Amino acid sequence: MAKARAIIKRRKAVQNIRKITRTMQLIATARFQAAYNRATATKPYTERITELVEQLSRGAGDIEHPLLRVNTESRRSVLIVITSNRGLCGGYNAAILRSALDHLRDREHAGETVDLHVLGRKGTGFFRFLNRPMAVARSGFEDKPLFDDVNDIAQQMMEAYERRQINSVHVTFMRFISTAVQRVTTLQLLPIERPAAGDGAARAGEVQYEFTPPAPELLAELLPETVRVRLFQCFTDAAVSEQVARMVAMKAATDAAGDMVRSLTQQYNRARQSQITLELLDIVSGAEAIK
Amino acid sequence: MAALQCSVITPEARAFEGPAEFVAIPAHDGEIGILPRRAPLVAKLGAGRLRLRAAGGDEQSWFIDGGFAQVIDNKVVVLTQKALRPDQIDPSKATEQLAAARSLPANDEVALKRKAAAEASARAQLRIAGR
Repeated sequence: MAKARAIIKRRKAVQNIRKITRTMQLIATARFQAAYNRATATKPYTERITELVEQLSRGAGDIEHPLLRVNTESRRSVLIVITSNRGLCGGYNAAILRSALDHLRDREHAGETVDLHVLGRKGTGFFRFLNRPMAVARSGFEDKPLFDDVNDIAQQMMEAYERRQINSVHVTFMRFISTAVQRVTTLQLLPIERPAAGDGAARAGEVQYEFTPPAPELLAELLPETVRVRLFQCFTDAAVSEQVARMVAMKAATDAAGDMVRSLTQQYNRARQSQITLELLDIVSGAEAIK
Repeated sequence: MAALQCSVITPEARAFEGPAEFVAIPAHDGEIGILPRRAPLVAKLGAGRLRLRAAGGDEQSWFIDGGFAQVIDNKVVVLTQKALRPDQIDPSKATEQLAAARSLPANDEVALKRKAAAEASARAQLRIAGR
């Protein structure tokens, strides 16, 4: 009986784990919905701002702005890595950190110093394990990134860039493309890639806007805004991707636990059957002996 | 007369979307009133009150902290980082903000600009909340 009972115990444990992973899957699904809604809520803003920049740069012609200028004086750059605070989300963090390391290696081979800004407990833990000093290690961001928080980071970056202390800012995060596809992306935040002013052969019926203040000044105000918005989009994307990753991981775990329960049940039935056969054999042979 | 279609968009949400017959936006150098069939306009916004009158005559307002406005084809799009209803403003917090803004250094041009913006934002909040 000992073996059958051990199997039952094990099956019970697996069933309990399955309950937990299933609940986590459901929670992740709910969180995903919320994060997804937030991510789509930022879309109109981002789109409008980009649209405005395009329209303005068409009107303004050649523009000069410290955030557009490539800064070659400094050999120092910044890499922002966005990871999650919690685990159990499959390969999410591993993929991001691998890509971040690649980027680091490339930059350092080129003889640059890279300031690491790591967000999320998983990322900070990883770099601490590697004994790699981080300029900033924060874990305050949960799955609801606030614009104000992101704004502060963007502001710091832009100020450092304008003072020519750094030559570029990159962000490594998980881009959310669809529920089925998320991709690790390293995005160049600064310097801003020049807005496409080239196709200014003017679409037919181009609108003549009235600008206040004049277009170049307005553009100078808009460019920092695009930086902020892009960074914010990174954060919301990362939040959505994390929940998707967790959903997928927990679904796989639940399925695997279900399979295991099934196979354990089978094993238990076999063990029980062979035990009964054994006992029957005992009884029969005992009865034979008495005759 | 065709009505204006107004939307107020912040990075976190769409704060308002609907028709209006008059909109006043707090531009960087003063208020701009917008009636239907206005010429296309792109304006930088300052901190201040965004007012909007719907067809029935009832007025709504928000506190807006900078941003941009675009007017085209009777559509008014206000892009701002922050849009608060008057009752969402916390006067005590705004007072604190004002005090913090006043103690900011103003030793170079950038710092001076930042200080002025922070003060203007806090003052505008207090003004709007006061009503």
